[in-house]
Amino acid sequence: MTVFHFFNCAILTFGPHAVYYSATPLSEYDTLGTSVKAALVYLGTALVKLVCLATFLKVSETDNFDPYQELLKALIGFIDVAGLYFALTQLTHRNISQNHKFQAVGLGWAFADSVLHRLAPLWVGARGLEFTWDYLLQGLEANANLVLSISLAALGSLMWLRKNKPKTLIPIIYACAGIVATMPSITSYLRRGLGWQFPKVVGFELFTSLVMAFISWQLFSACQRPSA
Amino acid sequence: MAHRKARERDMLDSVYSMLALVFILVACVELCDAATVVDVYRLIQYDISGVPFGSRLASLNHHAGSLHFSPGADLSRTVVMIPVRELNISFVTEYVSRKHPLGGMLFLLPEIFRLENGGGGKDVREKEVVKNVLLELEKLLVHAKLPYPVYFAFENDEIDAVLDDVKKNDATGQPATATTGGLVDNSVIENAGYFVSYVYPLECELYKLVIPIAEPKKVASPTITNIQGWLQGLKADGDANQLPTIAIVASYDTFGAAPALSVGSDSNGSGVVALLEVARLFSLLYSNPKTRGRYNILFGLTSGGPYNYNGTHKWLRSFDQRLRESIDYAICLNSVGSWNNELWIHVSKPPENAYIKQIFEGFTNVAEELGFKVGLKHKKINISNPRVAWEHEQFSRLRVTAATLSELSAAPELLESTGGLLDSRHFVDETSFIRSVQLVAESLARHIYGYQGKNIQIFADNSSLAVNPSYIRSWLDLLSQTPRVAPFISKNDPFIMALKKELADHTDEVIMQHEVLDGMFTFYDSTKASLNIYQVASVTFDLLLLLVLGSYLIVLFSFLVITTRGLDDLISLFRRPPSRKVEVSQEKLANDNYECVMV
Repeated sequence: MTVFHFFNCAILTFGPHAVYYSATPLSEYDTLGTSVKAALVYLGTALVKLVCLATFLKVSETDNFDPYQELLKALIGFIDVAGLYFALTQLTHRNISQNHKFQAVGLGWAFADSVLHRLAPLWVGARGLEFTWDYLLQGLEANANLVLSISLAALGSLMWLRKNKPKTLIPIIYACAGIVATMPSITSYLRRGLGWQFPKVVGFELFTSLVMAFISWQLFSACQRPSA
Repeated sequence: MAHRKARERDMLDSVYSMLALVFILVACVELCDAATVVDVYRLIQYDISGVPFGSRLASLNHHAGSLHFSPGADLSRTVVMIPVRELNISFVTEYVSRKHPLGGMLFLLPEIFRLENGGGGKDVREKEVVKNVLLELEKLLVHAKLPYPVYFAFENDEIDAVLDDVKKNDATGQPATATTGGLVDNSVIENAGYFVSYVYPLECELYKLVIPIAEPKKVASPTITNIQGWLQGLKADGDANQLPTIAIVASYDTFGAAPALSVGSDSNGSGVVALLEVARLFSLLYSNPKTRGRYNILFGLTSGGPYNYNGTHKWLRSFDQRLRESIDYAICLNSVGSWNNELWIHVSKPPENAYIKQIFEGFTNVAEELGFKVGLKHKKINISNPRVAWEHEQFSRLRVTAATLSELSAAPELLESTGGLLDSRHFVDETSFIRSVQLVAESLARHIYGYQGKNIQIFADNSSLAVNPSYIRSWLDLLSQTPRVAPFISKNDPFIMALKKELADHTDEVIMQHEVLDGMFTFYDSTKASLNIYQVASVTFDLLLLLVLGSYLIVLFSFLVITTRGLDDLISLFRRPPSRKVEVSQEKLANDNYECVMV
């Protein structure tokens, strides 16, 4: 494919982040600084994760699904949650409402993830003459990841920032956060343990991201009601 | 303070240069990740006295098409993939003779023709079917001038899969344009055209065939190499006269539609192997003084055979007069590997000539014992005609008695029967080939030792002097894997070195003679290349994709605006753009107030 195709794939991969920022009130309150800081935190977290993966994980020769290794990977994956916790609670921002804070953090987080994981393959691969659906699917995956990151940030802000929330909802919040945080391990299991094809995996990711977004939205509004 | 600022600027500068470096590095990464890479062999490109022949282009960058294209379609930007198995020769004839524009041609040869694939026997019927088509095709292509690249490749699973997809695409494209009959008006035709160009590329199974290769260059002064070796006869004591000489000659180079595939197992690999085996047998006899004959034997492997035996001509010219006169007769071996029950001796002197009679009778007697026939064909030489059809004619022109032993009953035309595409190992019949070697060795030996007409087998089977089938087989295998088109073999090519070494093992005084091929022929390089097959989507697909993505982002934007700020806000965004800023800031103020209340 050509530069044109690269351009298309880049729009699909990074467009939604920009649209999200400009369409929601985030742009009006100038929360770009928060997003940038979150992205920097993501970078640090990714570095720590890399070091942990390199230290604790054996290099597998085969592409098989090894439960023990995957468990370890999932545990290391929880470093993400720690990073997100840091971004949400420790970073002091200018006066910014909780509502916007988690969106800005989630957005920065997802954007950094997309840049780090998808830009280089896109640049190298999508400009080649050979056409594959892979890069378009990868773009869709980036969209799903954006939704998941914002959901996770929303759940995180419920867990750590909001003090007065209904007692009955707390286990549900934690369960949902757990599911969203283990999403990378689940997709890896689907791909390698069950041998799913890439389009099927992306479809699954899109579906679950929408479901999780809906659930966390409901939880968020449920928690907001009593306080208002 | 100013100092610190300067340092900061320095640091920023270095960071910028680092970034620039990184970007340059990234931009340089240009991966060649084709779905399939296939070895392809280019049709020969050559000039005869400045008149161009063959394929005149080498580089290729076009979409793939099949023979199932819709009638009247424009193929000037399409590479037509043609499996030789299903080749309709009339299509190619029409395209070549009418000079229709084409993007290129890619002929797919059956897997069994692959050079490494030496094992014959299987798929005999398939071979027979392909044989005639391929003969006709090669003749057509070699004598035509094609202003586009033409390549040959071998079928394999990958290329078959590509071909299937291309065929499917062409088949689905057909009905849409089939409606463009004479009765339909122009707008319908246009619509149909639109339909084709828009719908059919969307299947994303377009293939692009790319051969990135430089323009072919002329081969500067192509060299031809002749190799000769001697077996000295035993001189009687006190005999001052020079011993008579018998020459055994075979030309080893080939010419064919695809130079990199012209191995010429039969023409003239069989002649070369027969010569080597005869040299081996006589070297055994000549190594012992008791069995050393009273003849010198001269062995000559000549080049330039397809070009009127140019190498033989130069080789003979290099002899001095005495040597030339000492040659009793010369036997040229040409295509002796795949005959049924008759071989031919071609001569240019009348059959009544005493020497010719003697040679012919010697061969006939041995052939009868071996159980087959040898025929005699007489063809006069026309000195004014530059065409030399047989190698012995070069000898005859210098008044040396010579004959050619061949399975061909008639003289071939220029550049025919010179070991082209079809002349592979499969078509050499080992048993008949061994019999021709026996015929040559036996008749020679009877002549040398004076046993004419007597039934004495010198090289009898199962004796220590028997013809060695495994020696023959191994040399035949080697020759069947070595393309030998003279302009593309260098002076020190390993193959020529191997021939020289083998001849040196059996004979003495081995000399290599390097000559320049005479000026009538000009050849162009790039005989071999790699074909990259890419699966691509068309620009139309990209445009549509851009539209889809754009509308997706717009829908997303509207959705987000409606859910977070309300529908009115979205409408106000479009309704009064100039006053938008004020309104937004008012809204923001209101929102802030609301938020303050919330907190």
